[in-house]
Amino acid sequence: MPMDARHYGRPRKRARAAAGIALAIGATLLTGCSSEEGPPTLTWYINPDDGGQATIAQICTDQADGAYTIETSLLPSDAGAQREQLARRLAAGDDTMDIMSLDPPFVPELAEPGYLAPVPEDVAERTTQNVVEGALTGATWKDKVVAVPFWANTQILWYRKSVAEAAGLDMSQPVTWQQLIDAAAGQGKFLGVQGARAESMTVWVNALVESAGGAIVENPDAPADEIRLGLESEAGTQAAEIVSAIGKEGLGGPGLPTQTENTSMIQFQGDQGSFMVNYPFVWPATNAAVEAGTLPAGLIEDIGWTLYPQVNAGEDTAPPLGGINLGVGADSKHQDLSYQAIECIVSPENQSLYFTTNGNPPANTDAYNAPGISDTFPMAETIRESLELSKPRPQTPYYNEVSTGIQQTWTPPSAVDPATTPATSSEFILAVLKGEKLL
Amino acid sequence: MKSSPVRRRVTWTIISIVVIVYALFPVASILATSFKIPSDLTSGTFLPNTWSTTNYEEILVGDAQDLFLSALRNSIGISLIATFVAVVLATLCAYAIARLDFPGKKLILTTALGVSIFPVISIVTPLFNLWRNIGLYDTWLGLIIPYLSLTLPISIWTLAAFFRQIPWELEQAAQVDGATTWQAFRKAIVPLAAPGVFTTAIIAFFIAWNDFVYGISLTSTDAARPVPAALAFFTGASQFEEPTGAISAAAIIVTIPVVVLVLAFQRQIVSGLTQGAVKG
Amino acid sequence: MSTSVEAKRGAAPAPKPAKPRLSDRARAERRLGLWLAGPAFIIMLAVTAYPILLALWDSLFKYRLTAPDDRAFIGLGNYGVILTDSVFWRDLGVTLLITVITVAVELVLGFALALVMNSALKAVRGWLRTAILVPYGIITVVSAFAWFYAFDINSGYINHWFDWVPGISPDLNWFADGPTALFVIIASEIWKTTPFISLLLLAGLAQVPGELTEAAEVDGATWWQRMGRVILPNMKAAIMVAVLFRALDAFRIFDNVYIMTNGAYGTEVLSLLAYRTSISRLEIGMGSAISVLLFLCVIIICFIAIKLFKVDLTGARGGN
Repeated sequence: MPMDARHYGRPRKRARAAAGIALAIGATLLTGCSSEEGPPTLTWYINPDDGGQATIAQICTDQADGAYTIETSLLPSDAGAQREQLARRLAAGDDTMDIMSLDPPFVPELAEPGYLAPVPEDVAERTTQNVVEGALTGATWKDKVVAVPFWANTQILWYRKSVAEAAGLDMSQPVTWQQLIDAAAGQGKFLGVQGARAESMTVWVNALVESAGGAIVENPDAPADEIRLGLESEAGTQAAEIVSAIGKEGLGGPGLPTQTENTSMIQFQGDQGSFMVNYPFVWPATNAAVEAGTLPAGLIEDIGWTLYPQVNAGEDTAPPLGGINLGVGADSKHQDLSYQAIECIVSPENQSLYFTTNGNPPANTDAYNAPGISDTFPMAETIRESLELSKPRPQTPYYNEVSTGIQQTWTPPSAVDPATTPATSSEFILAVLKGEKLL
Repeated sequence: MKSSPVRRRVTWTIISIVVIVYALFPVASILATSFKIPSDLTSGTFLPNTWSTTNYEEILVGDAQDLFLSALRNSIGISLIATFVAVVLATLCAYAIARLDFPGKKLILTTALGVSIFPVISIVTPLFNLWRNIGLYDTWLGLIIPYLSLTLPISIWTLAAFFRQIPWELEQAAQVDGATTWQAFRKAIVPLAAPGVFTTAIIAFFIAWNDFVYGISLTSTDAARPVPAALAFFTGASQFEEPTGAISAAAIIVTIPVVVLVLAFQRQIVSGLTQGAVKG
Repeated sequence: MSTSVEAKRGAAPAPKPAKPRLSDRARAERRLGLWLAGPAFIIMLAVTAYPILLALWDSLFKYRLTAPDDRAFIGLGNYGVILTDSVFWRDLGVTLLITVITVAVELVLGFALALVMNSALKAVRGWLRTAILVPYGIITVVSAFAWFYAFDINSGYINHWFDWVPGISPDLNWFADGPTALFVIIASEIWKTTPFISLLLLAGLAQVPGELTEAAEVDGATWWQRMGRVILPNMKAAIMVAVLFRALDAFRIFDNVYIMTNGAYGTEVLSLLAYRTSISRLEIGMGSAISVLLFLCVIIICFIAIKLFKVDLTGARGGN
C-alpha cells in the first residue's frame, strides 16, 4: 500500500511541524516576548453571500488597528441548516462562536437557553438607533435586545408594467392580492409566489396573516405546551383563500409546488411573468442576465416595483421581514472584543457598502442616505418603506416546529382549503409542540 | 440458433452501446450542466448554448474556492486514512480468519455482516452527542472512526475470501528452504496477497468517498467537511439564486478520481467484488 | 470456495487440536489469532454497538438539545407517539415501496448486465466493465443531483425531450407530486446501485457448472429453457443474497430523497424522518427512538429473509 502510506504520512508530518511551531512560540513566551502573541482572532460565522461579509471583516480588522482580527467561517446556504449548525455548536459549548450571523426567526431559540452572550447596554443603545422596527423586533427576546440588527430583507411587489397597464391597474396606489389574481387570470399570466415546501412558504403565509391583521402565534414567548395559534381566525382564513385561489387556478404556474425565490424570478422574467413578490436580489440578477444577453434588453424597462400587496384594500400591508442579526456566543472567550467588532460591522457606512455590493438592504435607515444607493437600487426608497411596515415571523423558541408545521400543511398551494387548512394546521402544530405527533 | 460472426459482432456492438449509454448518460448530463452559464440553465436543452468554464473557475479559483478546495482536501485525506486503517486492520483480521485456528471466527464474520447492514442514520444521533462531549465533533478523526464502520466489514469479507484462495503451502515450502517465518511471509505470501489488498482498498475508498450522512451530521466547518456535504453550501450570486452550475462542476471534479480508478483497475475491482461475494 | 471455514482449516498446516488440552503451539496460534482479529472486531463493535445502546437510552427521554434543562424520563412514551402516528407508517410504507421496486427492477436489470458481462466478446468486455463500474463508484449525492437537474421543471431537458410521451409536457413538475418524484428518486437509486447487484449475480453466474448448460444445450433446450431449468436454479443462493443485501441497502435510502425533495409531497423515508427529528429539530429523544425503530426494521427484514427464505448470510458480504 505505498500510495496510502505516502498520503498517510502527510498529516503526521504536518502535525510534527505544528508541534515545532508550538514549541517555538512557547519558547518566545518563556523569554518574556509576549508581543509576539498577536491580536486575538474573532471567528465570524457568516451565511453565504457575494463576499460582502468577508470584505467588512477585513475593513473592521484594519480599523481595529491590532485590537483583533476577524476571520469568517461559512455556514450552509439554507437558513434551517444554518440554524442546525449554530445550535449544535452552541450546545456543544464551542468557545470559538464569537460572532454569528443569525436569521431573526431563530434568535429566540438560541436566546432562551442562554446560548447568546448578553448585549452590553451601551452597545445595544448605539446599534439600535434608527433601526427599522421589524428588524429590532427580530433582535429582541423577552423585551431584551439579544442580538444586533445588521441588515434587513423584505419582499416588495415586482410587476411587468405592460401587464399592469393591460389590466388597468394604477400601480402608484396600493394594490390587493385579489386585484393581482384577477389581473393575472384575465391575461393568462402567472403570479410569482413561493409555493415550495420550504421556509419561503412560511414567509408567505406569515405575511398574509399579518397583512390581514392576525398573527400566526399569539403568545410567542410561552412554553411549548402553552402556545396559542392565531390561524383559526378571519385572518387565517383570508390567507388560506389567497393561497388556495392561486394554487387551484394554476396562477402560480406548473412549478408552483416547488417554486422558490429563484424559480419564481425566472418565471417572472419570462413571457408569462406578471406580478411577483420577491426580495431585492431580483434587480441585480435580472440586470446581469440582460447584460449576458440571455434576456431581452427591453425587459428592464418593463419592470416596476411597489409595496407588497394588501389583503384588505385600505389596510396596511405587512411585508415579510428577513435579514441577519449578529449575536455573540455565550461561551466566546472574547465577548467584549466581539461586540466592539460588531459595532464596527453594523456601522451605517458598512451597511450601505453591503447594500450596494451585495444587494442586502440595511437595517439602519441612515444607511439609505448614502450616495450611490439609488443608482444601484432605484427601488431603495420602496425597500425602506417596506421595511418600516414589515412584520417578523413568529419570535418563538419553537419557530422551527411552527414553520415546518405550516410548510407541511399549506403545501401544495392547490390543496389548501380555506374552510379546513387553518384548523388542520393549528391542530397539527399544537400536537407537535406537545410532543404528541411527529413532524 | 448459431449466429454468424458478423451478426454476433453487430449484436454485441449494439448491446455495448446501450450499456455504455445507460451507465454514462447521467454523468454526461451533469457534465453538460457544469459548462452552462447561470442564465443558460433554464434553456431546457441538454447541451449548453454557450460553453463556459465559469463554474469551474468559481470553485477552483473564485469565490467558492475556500469552500470547495478545503472540502476536497478533507474528502481526500479522510477517505484515504479511513481506507488505509480499514485495510490494515482488515488484512490482519482476515489473515487470522483464513489461516489461524482460534475461537470466535464466526462471531467476527457475523458481526462484520451485522455492521455492514446497520442503518447509518441510527448511529448518527448518538455519535453526534458522543463526539460533542469528547471533542471529536467536526474533526478528521470524528469522521474517520465512523467511516471505519462502513469500510471494515466489506474489507474483512473480501480479504478473508481472498486469503482463503492463496496457496499457503508456498509459505511452508519457503520455510523448509530455510527462510524465517517473516521472510517466508514476505517473499511468498505478500506478492500473492497484494492484489487482493489493493482491490479491497479501492472498494473501501469508494465507500468512504461516497459518504454523505456522516459528512453532514458530524461536521460544521471546513475543518472536516467533506465534498458531498459541502455541495449544500454552495450559493449563487445571492443567497436566493441556486448554485446549479457550481454544484455540477464540483460533482464532476469529485467524479474524476472514481473514473480514473475504474479505468485503471476495472478488472481487479470486478474480481474483488465477485470473489467471495457468494459462498459455494 | 465451496468449503466452509472449518473444512479450509483442515488444509492449514496446524493439525486440528484435540479440544480439552491445547498444545502450546495451538495456544500460541489462538492468542495470535485473537490479537490479529481483535482490533478490527473491537472497532466495529465500538462504532456501532455503543452508539445504538446510547440511542436506546436516549430514546427513553424527552430531550431537546436547545432545552437541556427540560430533559425528563418518559419511558416508552416516544415509542408510543411514533407508533401511533400516521407519519411513521406513511414513511415506512414509502420506504418499503422504494425497496420493493428498486430491488425488483435491479434484479432484472442487474441480471441482464451480468449476462452481458459474462458472455461479452473479449474486445468489449473491459469497456463494458468500466462503464458499469462508473455508477458503482460515483457518489450517490452526485447521482442525485444529475437526475434532479435533468428532470427539474426549470433546469431540466427531460420534459422537452419526452413531450411526445402521453403525460409528459414541458409543464410537468416531477417533484410536485409523490408518484412522479418517487419515480425519479427510484430511477437514480436504480442507476447507481444496479452495478452492485449485477456483480453479485455475475459471481453467481460464474458458479453455474458449465457442463450442465452444455449438456442442456446438447439436449436441444432453448435459451429460455436453459435459463429457467439450469442456470437460475443453480444461482438461487447468489440471487437471494443479492436481493437481501440490496433490500437492506435500499431500505436505508437517504441521499437521493434528501437532495431531490427533502421528503416533500409524500416522498419522506424513515432515514430522513430520523434525520429531521434528531438533527434538524434537535429532538434527541424522539430522534433516537426513530433510529432504534429503524434498526429494528432492518433486523426484522434480515430475520424474515434468513428464516423464511433460508438465505445463508455468512457466505456473503455487503457493499455500500
